[in-house]
Amino acid sequence: MPDSTRREAEDRSEEGSVSLPDLGDSIDAVTFEQILEMDDDEDDREFSRSIVFGFFEQAEQTFKKMDDALKAGDLAELSSLGHFLKGSSATLGLTKVKDSCEKIQHYGQKKDEAGTADEPDEKKCLERIEETLVAVKEEYAEVEKVLKKFYGS
Amino acid sequence: MTSSEVAALHSTTAPPAGLHVLPRSIPEAFAALTPIASALLDSSFHILQVSARYLTFNNLTSDECIGRNVFDLVKSKALVPGLVSLQLAIDRAIETKNVSVTSTSEYRDGRPFYASLRAVPIFEHDVLLYMLLEVQDNTAEHDRRVTLNDQLDTNDTYKVLVDTVKDYAIFMLDTKGNVRTWNAGAALLKGYKPEEIIGKHFSIFYGEEDKIAEKPRKELEICLRESKVEDEGWRYKKDGSRFWANVTITCVVRNGVHIGFSKVTRDLTERKAAESRVVAAYEESSKLKSAFLANTSHEIRTPLHGMLSALTLLMDTSLTPEQRELGSIIEESGSVLLQVINDILDYSKLSSGVFSIMTDVPVSIPALITSIVRGIQPSLKPRVTLGTNLGPNLPTTALGDPLRYRQVLQNLVANAVKFTESGSINIDASLVEEDASTYTVRTEITDTGIGIKDVAIASLFTPFTQFDASATKRYRGTGLGLSICKSLAELMGGAISFHPNPNGQGSVFWFTVKLHKINARNQVDRLSAKFVASTLSPVPDSLTLVRELAPGKRILLAEDNFINQKVMLMMLKGLGFGKVDIAVDGAEAVDRAKRNPLFYDLILMDVSMPVLDGVSATIQIRELGIETPIIAMTANAIKEDVTSYLARGMNDYVPKPVDRKVLLKAFLRWLK
Repeated sequence: MPDSTRREAEDRSEEGSVSLPDLGDSIDAVTFEQILEMDDDEDDREFSRSIVFGFFEQAEQTFKKMDDALKAGDLAELSSLGHFLKGSSATLGLTKVKDSCEKIQHYGQKKDEAGTADEPDEKKCLERIEETLVAVKEEYAEVEKVLKKFYGS
Repeated sequence: MTSSEVAALHSTTAPPAGLHVLPRSIPEAFAALTPIASALLDSSFHILQVSARYLTFNNLTSDECIGRNVFDLVKSKALVPGLVSLQLAIDRAIETKNVSVTSTSEYRDGRPFYASLRAVPIFEHDVLLYMLLEVQDNTAEHDRRVTLNDQLDTNDTYKVLVDTVKDYAIFMLDTKGNVRTWNAGAALLKGYKPEEIIGKHFSIFYGEEDKIAEKPRKELEICLRESKVEDEGWRYKKDGSRFWANVTITCVVRNGVHIGFSKVTRDLTERKAAESRVVAAYEESSKLKSAFLANTSHEIRTPLHGMLSALTLLMDTSLTPEQRELGSIIEESGSVLLQVINDILDYSKLSSGVFSIMTDVPVSIPALITSIVRGIQPSLKPRVTLGTNLGPNLPTTALGDPLRYRQVLQNLVANAVKFTESGSINIDASLVEEDASTYTVRTEITDTGIGIKDVAIASLFTPFTQFDASATKRYRGTGLGLSICKSLAELMGGAISFHPNPNGQGSVFWFTVKLHKINARNQVDRLSAKFVASTLSPVPDSLTLVRELAPGKRILLAEDNFINQKVMLMMLKGLGFGKVDIAVDGAEAVDRAKRNPLFYDLILMDVSMPVLDGVSATIQIRELGIETPIIAMTANAIKEDVTSYLARGMNDYVPKPVDRKVLLKAFLRWLK
């Protein structure tokens, strides 16, 4: 099934349905356009704006929780937080943030980056999460900037 | 039994008064008269008394028996029932202090022997005094029952019936879909012998494509849900050749337990071939007819134009009043004839499917109506008024086919004008429906004319019918106008209908057309593809289909992340689902599903959720016997995961982020 999804996504991007300013490569245009299409009014974009700014709030809270969990060395909590933010960033098409969240989810499960091989060394997992957390915050800051500019605030 | 009573056994019995029977002692009577093979034992199982039947049955004499331990006797003479049954019967009788009956089947003189051994223990308090043994030979009765059972086994009767059917493959599947029985018809039709196919999964009869689409599994699923499923499609024989089959699968339940499926397969190859020959012949003849009509009409029109032009010239010359009168009759008849021929041309084009409808020309309904009113005003009869009422929300600009809209309205208004001698004619136009990409506009023409008789209503839109032969003389026409209007309205995505004027005299005709919104280019492109002029009933796309299904459907959305909740809610709202409940974790989802098991038409289930994850929630929901379709939503797009979701009771899977098109397809699979 994932294959067919990809194919349809390509079809749609060929149509070039909604013309949008370049949002950079950290945002998946097809997914984000799907959200934008839900706006009743293209000028105030009330719905997508509320979703995007809701996400900012959620992301910042989650990062804070991740920092705390990292201090406490709570791998399970880190994994679950990673999964949580992965869900909403995927919905918005924030590809890079989503990928990093997925890595945190895997490291938290004591696995490697892709979640396929076991990594029994908890210390190593925590170190990797610490690195990824720094990266994901930067990636987030980037999309936040782009999106805030898009919504003109 | 007290000891005095036992003593009485040996005393003389008093024969009933009036019977002249030689007096016998009780033991004598017991021995001679007991109608069953019996032996009375003491507490150490030595034989006290035997009945004559016992002796003849075992071919023994009284001396061989009396005083002997019964076990020794049975053992030494190899009596039947044997030691095992004897021991069992006696032990059980002693243990329960009650009569025990043991059924045995053994061989006696080399033949099967069925008997029941009855042991009657005689206790005084807890002390065993005597034991009465009785052997009942049941062999004859057993044989009789076996015969009877055979007759009663109706399954066998049906089996014979089914086995002899040669035109249908009739067979049983177990609950997993493996073939369990195979009749002659199945062997003939599919080419497998029973021993080759029994135990194999029935998907073997399906083509690769069906197998990939998991059609066999889905058919059984539907069958479980709806108790029966019927399908037509290609099925494959052992030699790889295929045939067009009609298949009926029925769920077989015995005593409330699902034990399998019955499957009946019919070969429709011949019928389908015959059908397509008939359809082809019909289409061919219908096409020929339309082509003939179109050609003839065209051929007639050319000379008619010449005639009418010449007539116009003739009328300009100086004519006597009589000649002028005759000339104007020719002119009037000629113009009617031209109208008839134009109608036939339109109709033949419509029915042969070469008529095309535009979908992308700007249309302004108010402007069109105003123009028609202006054009028709001069032909109004003196005591008739013509009014218009344009709805406030009527779109001023949209995309469609203004020419064809005008043709329908013109025809209906012209009819109203023709048949109304006095009173009023009103044109009402309003917006009746609107979605993201289209408007549906309804136009209604009300007159106070002669109206239409009840008997004529049914055939109103049928070609070449005029509702009143006598009216033809007064109101000339082809009888094609309304059927052309009907085809045009349908081509424009709408409908046409009639009802009598509710205010008494007259008629109300109304029709609807779908117009596309100008700012929704995408949808227009997509829809216009469907409006290929040659098809009268366009195939709706999945978005349209889901929007048709959506009203009234209840959906439970189990999703913990509120961003995703909001987006999904909006997406569902956009598809027309007004009733969506949210559960923020699996436990709440189970709770809501449990509260009213039939409430939801579909559950969208996130897989990873706090408290209780989606898979566990699904398992619990299924354990409650709730069969609502559950669609998993997850970013874990690994194939094995998906398989395990489905194995645990989920019906389908939509990857995250949820793509609307993928969601639409899942809805179409599960919301029917």
